[in-house]
Formats: sequence, C-alpha cells, structure tokens
Amino acid sequence: MFIQTEATADPKSLKFLPGREVLCDGPLDMTDRDAAACSPLATRLFDIAGVAAISFGPDYITVTKNDSDWQHLKPALLGAIMEHFMSGAPILLQPARALSPRSQPGSPETALLGARVTDALRLVIDPELGYNIVDLGLVYDVRTEDGITSIVMTTTTRGCPATNYLKEGAHEAASSVEGVKAVEVGLTYDPPWAPEMMSPEAKGHFGIVD
Amino acid sequence: MIGVSLSRWTMAYFAAAIVALLLSEALMVAGYGFPALPVQAPQTLVLVHLVAIGWLSLLLCGALFQFVPVLVARSLYSNTLPFPALLFLLAGLGALLIGFLQLAGTIDFAPSLLPYGAILLAIGFALVLYNLGRTLWQARPLPLQARFVAVALVCLAATVAFGAIFSFAFGTTLHSDALLAIAGQGLPLHVSAGLGGWLTFAAIGVSYRLLAMFMLAPELNGRRPQAVFRLGSAALAVAILGGLASLLCKAPVFPALLIGGALGAVALALYLADAVHLYRARKRRIIELNSRMAALALVSLAASVVLTIVLLALGRLTQQVGALVFLVAFGWLGGLGLAKLYKIVAFLTWLECYGPVLGKMATPRVQDLVVEARARRWFVVYYLAVWSATVCLLASQDLAFRLAAAAMTVATLAVAVQLVRTRLLSNVAAASRLPGSVGRPHLLICMPGPNR
Repeated sequence: MFIQTEATADPKSLKFLPGREVLCDGPLDMTDRDAAACSPLATRLFDIAGVAAISFGPDYITVTKNDSDWQHLKPALLGAIMEHFMSGAPILLQPARALSPRSQPGSPETALLGARVTDALRLVIDPELGYNIVDLGLVYDVRTEDGITSIVMTTTTRGCPATNYLKEGAHEAASSVEGVKAVEVGLTYDPPWAPEMMSPEAKGHFGIVD
Repeated sequence: MIGVSLSRWTMAYFAAAIVALLLSEALMVAGYGFPALPVQAPQTLVLVHLVAIGWLSLLLCGALFQFVPVLVARSLYSNTLPFPALLFLLAGLGALLIGFLQLAGTIDFAPSLLPYGAILLAIGFALVLYNLGRTLWQARPLPLQARFVAVALVCLAATVAFGAIFSFAFGTTLHSDALLAIAGQGLPLHVSAGLGGWLTFAAIGVSYRLLAMFMLAPELNGRRPQAVFRLGSAALAVAILGGLASLLCKAPVFPALLIGGALGAVALALYLADAVHLYRARKRRIIELNSRMAALALVSLAASVVLTIVLLALGRLTQQVGALVFLVAFGWLGGLGLAKLYKIVAFLTWLECYGPVLGKMATPRVQDLVVEARARRWFVVYYLAVWSATVCLLASQDLAFRLAAAAMTVATLAVAVQLVRTRLLSNVAAASRLPGSVGRPHLLICMPGPNR
C-alpha cells in the first residue's frame, strides 16, 4: 500500500491519499477524541500526540496538527493509516446519522425533548455490563416529532436474554418524559454493536483503551 | 424472535447439580470408591455417575436450555419439557445408583434396578434432546458455536445408548453377541462419548460465545475455530464409530481411540489457542471473577492434554486413567461449570427480578448481586484442591487425596452459599433490593414478572 501526501493551503493541515475509498459520504470533520469515537481510524489518529483535528473525504484524510512538527508527526500518521487499512477495520462503526443518540435538528423545543428522552434512557442499564444503554452506545438514534418519539437501539449480542427487557425498559423510560405522547422502539443489528461505540466515560469505566 | 426468554427450570437443574457435586465430594472425603477401590468397582461407578450425570450433565442441560436459544437467537422449543425431563433424570439417576449399590452388595434385594435406571435416564435425556434438537433444527443454518452443541447432543445420545447396553448387560441377560461385545469392551467408547463428546464439546461451543460476551472480546468464527469443530468432530467420529466398528469386528478398539485421541488433542490445542486469543483481545481490561476463574479451568484442560500425552508416552495411561478423568471432570468441566454458574445465576436472577421494572425505576446492577471478593478465595481453594488431589491420585496417596477432597467440598459449599445468597438477593443493599413491585425470587424456579 502506498500513501501519498499533499500539502494544503493551511500549513497546519496535511492531506493523506491512501489510494482507496475513505468515506464516500464525506467530508466528515472531527475536532476531538469524543467526536472520533465513531471511527477506529480517527481514534487511532487521535492517539498520536499533536493531532488536533481530522477530516475524512471520499478518498483522502486530512490531518490538522497543533504545534507539533510534521517531520515527527508524518511517519506516525502514515504508520497508523497503513495499519488501519491493513487490519480491514471499517472507517465508521455505524452510519453517520446514528453516531450519537440525539434528536434530529428542529425547533429548540423538539431538540430539548429529544435531549430529555436521551437522559431518561440513562435509567435503563444493560444488566450484563451494568452501565446505562446510552453511554454504552446501544441507543443508535432518538427522534421526536409532535411528541412521538422513535428510538432505534441494539443489544450487545444478538439473542441476548435481556433484549425484550431492554426494549420495554427504553419504552418505559421514554414514555415517562413529559411531552412524549407515544414511543416506538426499534431493534437493529445493523451495524452490530462494538465496544468502540461506548462513550469515553463508559470506556474508562471498563478500562477500555482505544 | 430476536430476544429470548428466561428458562423456567434452569435454576432447578443447577440446584440439583450442586447437590450432586457436594454428595460426590463427600463420598470422596469418606474414601468411598476410587482410589480406595478399583476404577471398575460398583462403588466407583456410583461416584462416577453421580458426578457425570448428577453434577455435570444436569448443569449442562440447565445451561443449554438457557443458552442454546442465545446461540441461535430463537426461543427454546418448549419451556415445559425441561421439568418432566428433570424428574426422569433424577429418578433414573437414583435407580442407577441403587443398581450399582446392589452390585456392590450394599443393598440386597432383587431385581436389579440398573435397567430401570437406564430406561428412566433414556427418557429424560430423550426429552432434553428433543427439546434442544427441535430448537436447533428450526434455526438452521446453525452458527458455529451451535454446531458444537449439535454434535455434543449426538454424542449424548451415543453415551446414553452405551450406558443402557451396560445396564441391561449387568441387570438382565443379553443374548446378542454384538451387544455383549459392546458391554464387554465398550467402556472407553462410553467415556469418550460422554466426557469428550457430550460434556467437553458442548462446553467448548458455549464457552466460545460466553467468553467473548463476558469479556467484550471479538467473536471468533474464523479458520481456527472452524478447524477445532472439524477436527473435534472427526476425533469423536473416529473414536466412537471407529471403536464401535472395531468392537463389532472383534478387533481391538485401541487404534481407533489412539487416532481419535490424537485428532482430539490437536483440536483441544487449537481451542486453547483461541481461548488465549479471546483473553488477549478482550476490550474489557478489568474482567469479572467468572472470566478469571474460567481461565483456571482452561489451564486444567491444557494440563489434562499434557498429562494424557505424558502418561501415554510412559505407558502408564491405563493405570493412571482415574487421575486423568478426575482432572477433566473437576478441573476442566467442573471448574468451568462453577465459574460460569457464578455469573449465570446472578444474570438470570437479575433479569427475573429487575428486568420487568427496567426503565421504570433505578435498578441494581448484576454485579451488585454478588460479592466477588468473598467468592474469589473459595474458587482459588477449589482449584488448588483439585490440582492437589490429582497429584495425590498420580502418587497413590489416598489419605492426602481425601484431605484435598475435603478442601474441595468446603470450597464448593462456600461457593454454593454464595450462589444461594445471589439468588435470594442477599448481597443487594437493602434500600435497593426490592423496589416497587419487585418480589424475592423463588430459589428453584424462574418466574419473570413483577407480580410473581
């Protein structure tokens, strides 16, 4: 695998062209580690000291550095990108629309209701892991419209005996939020859940190192 | 159906299994059967079947009623059949043990209960096989882990068939030359099908899934686990079918057992490599007690493979087979069983009690139902005692073996107390133990729902 580099107008940014598709729906910009949790490649790149931001395009990765020196940063970045593509890991763990369980953009009231539903879902814990389903990354999407809330979630493993309890628990928790008139909970295994989908707090709790 | 429900009778199977384990350990402490008496003595057969059927098979059946549905993401075919199956198995085991005591002269009455025990056990296991078999059949094509279980169930049928032939040979008069040949020399095939096929192969299949689940490790479905399945299945086929064919042709069974054993050793080595990979690749750096203790069971399995090879090389396998079977039964299968029991009892109890109120109120975590620090020392004592007892058997130190067995008994009893405490929610802080409509669970039956 040969990775080309290309200078950009901003001397603090460098474009890497791995010679294969990166993110066809790009660009996707990530300015910190939290935002990068959805991508094994971005997480790997943020592990390198000196990386300030990352952007994925259809066939490129743009890395923005802070005050570090490209001479030291570039070999580490090339190595990380090479390792990622050789491992066969996906660029994103889930579709970009499901990266965080928040309500869709809309009126401030709708956004607030969505946030309150998400908060309420933190009452529901995955029994095996003993942590709330939101921070575990089991809630893929929360949408509210006219008080009707739609939740898309998953479980840590297909066939888990807790599945129905988790679905019903999510339904109960969302229904308890003032302003919610009806709740729909959908279960999906596409994409399958992976520990990388956890929030940084949850990862810290389980001692997971990116 | 994507989610699966709780198996109603799994706890009853677990309770019966633990009682059988404690009884068998108490018998060893008392010096009953092997090593004080030969491996083939009726007293030893009491001990062996109490462990193999009472402890390990009931434990595995109970676990499979809950976890086969998880493996195939489908509901169990029947949640009713496990109860009559349990009754038949317990009655059959009782009759079988009395039959052995009749053989030993401890109980003096006729006729022999061995055939009745065999019939009752065959009915019990047939109900288990029908229930699990229908569940698997509806889920075809099976995922790899479930295929291990499918092969294990076939081996269970073979084990029961061999056992029934032995029972009828001991308890009645057989006239068929073929059946007499099996009854005379088929014991290694019975043991291979039971310990290797039924118990070990099922444990391997389930452990692939449970180890990955509990440690957040990537599920393995690649070449190596496929090779474990194919080599293991081939090993069992060669040992059992090849051995049977040899018996019927009046040829020695040893070559079939040797080839099957060699294939099995390679399969086990690959499985152990997979297990090591799961531990290394796990995302959950801080693992729970069940995963840590399962590692010691895997160490026991590795030690069993090495011990087999060493004994074979030294030409001492026949003389020391008792020590080897002991290590497999109590170190590998028993250790893994106890370790996973510690997690499964807590998990199922949590689902039963707190699952129905999830989302309505704050609930304790599964981890709040157990006190790992309290149980850890007893697990360590158990494994140290098992390994010591194995060494004592190898060194023919009968008294020391009984002392080690006493340590095993104490440790098992202490773990059993922890399991009962978990089941009764005794470890959960009083303030959060029974919120709202949550009721205390029944010790032996899972009854999900807030208004039990």
